[in-house]
Amino acid sequence: MVLDAIGGNFLRLVVLLWQSVEGKIAQVGEVIILFLKILRRAPWFFVNPSLTLEQLIRIGVSSLPLVMVISFFIGAVSAVQAAYQFRGFVPSNYLGTAVCKLVIIESGPVLTALVLAGRVGSAIAAQIGTMKEKEELDAMTVLDLDPLRYLALPRLISGIVSFPLLVIISDCLSIFGGWIITTLVLKVTTATYVFGLRFLFQPYDIVISLVKACVFGVIVVLMGYYHGLSAGSGAKGVGQASMKSVVSSCMLILIVDFLIVYIAY
Amino acid sequence: MNGDHLIELKHLQKSFGPQKVLRDVNLEIRRGETMVIIGTSGGGKSVILKHCIGLLQPDGGEVVVDGKVISSNSHIDVKTIRKRMGMLFQGAALFDSMNVGENIKFAVREHEKQHSEADLDRIVAETLHMINLNPDFRFKMPSELSGGMKKRLGLARAIALKPEILLYDEPTTGLDPITSDVINDLIIDMQAKLGATNIVVTHDMVSAYKIADRIAMLLDGRIIFVGTPEETRATSNPYVQQFILGQRKLGGAEAE
Repeated sequence: MVLDAIGGNFLRLVVLLWQSVEGKIAQVGEVIILFLKILRRAPWFFVNPSLTLEQLIRIGVSSLPLVMVISFFIGAVSAVQAAYQFRGFVPSNYLGTAVCKLVIIESGPVLTALVLAGRVGSAIAAQIGTMKEKEELDAMTVLDLDPLRYLALPRLISGIVSFPLLVIISDCLSIFGGWIITTLVLKVTTATYVFGLRFLFQPYDIVISLVKACVFGVIVVLMGYYHGLSAGSGAKGVGQASMKSVVSSCMLILIVDFLIVYIAY
Repeated sequence: MNGDHLIELKHLQKSFGPQKVLRDVNLEIRRGETMVIIGTSGGGKSVILKHCIGLLQPDGGEVVVDGKVISSNSHIDVKTIRKRMGMLFQGAALFDSMNVGENIKFAVREHEKQHSEADLDRIVAETLHMINLNPDFRFKMPSELSGGMKKRLGLARAIALKPEILLYDEPTTGLDPITSDVINDLIIDMQAKLGATNIVVTHDMVSAYKIADRIAMLLDGRIIFVGTPEETRATSNPYVQQFILGQRKLGGAEAE
């Protein structure tokens, strides 16, 4: 009897787990189909470039202050941490190396993307979710204004273009933040910091960093748009769509980051 | 197909999950008439409207518009037919990020590339004039407008491309009686000016009697009655009587 009960519950658990996995696989399929549908509309970019420009300002330019502040302090923290961890073992010549490597390879693209997942991805999910709720997406379809062409494509292109640009700015500001702390607080000369920056520097790191940024841009925009389209009704539905877009973007950013690093290095 | 019928719904079926919304809807809409579909809230009236314009695909049955089946997988047919249609949504569905003028211009600019900005401004002014509004309204944002005004501007956006078929989803819901009457007059006016075929979904009987050439009643996923307003008033169908008289129970025995 007891064994039967345990067996029954175990079977139920397996079925539930399988249903959950099945649902996730279906979602991945839907996201891939959505991505391909948007890509198919890529030539329309040349017909309405102003829509993409508008999104570049919303996604890229508007995110600048946030990215700048965060990047400066990431550089500063990296310098302080490196100095503390190096004490007595590694000469301060390599402080710049630690900051430069950490910032360009990882913290620049990954932290910028995570921050933008919160700022940009959630905003896209909320906007598309609200438009769906208020039947604006249906109204566009009825007026033969394809939402994927007018809403999704400009956002996707803006994500692909603006993320690498923001990452470059983020890298520069992080290195600047590291320099300020190194010279003013840690009393290391600028020449020593610059020596460290140039030591072990590889342009390949920057290429990989920018590739990551482009991919993260696609992930954040796609997750925002997808969860906006799947939003439930009312304020709760839109709120959940925003939350899901941020959570799924963050998870995917870290998983894809690992895959790119694994393949590239 | 009967040449007189512009839209035909044949054995239309639609379910959302376990809920069967449309079981077997059969309805013909004649060219140039105003067909009002009445029925209880949540009964599937708006679902019928969305099938007519290809926003939803039926699980079974067909939607035939001007001899073309639009409920198949042929997107070209749906897009071609859709260009001949306009729709006023229940909440007006104005694009919140654009002002009124841009809301009206947006589709015209994209579909009729020959127009200059001056032409588009003229079209906006003409469209606003058709719904008896001052051209200065074009600068207002949707958030600054009342519910009735939003509906009027939703109608303006729908008629800017001069459609042959106009679909109205609950045009008077949530409006006071006087504003409702303004909307009713506009619907009648649009039919006279554009010669459009109208399908109106509503549960407002005052509106239905005023604007309808024929009234169809949807109950339990089926059209149970079709007739002129006079025939509707006079019918002995207990379900229609219950609805038009607003009785809680069939036959009105326990109506309060």
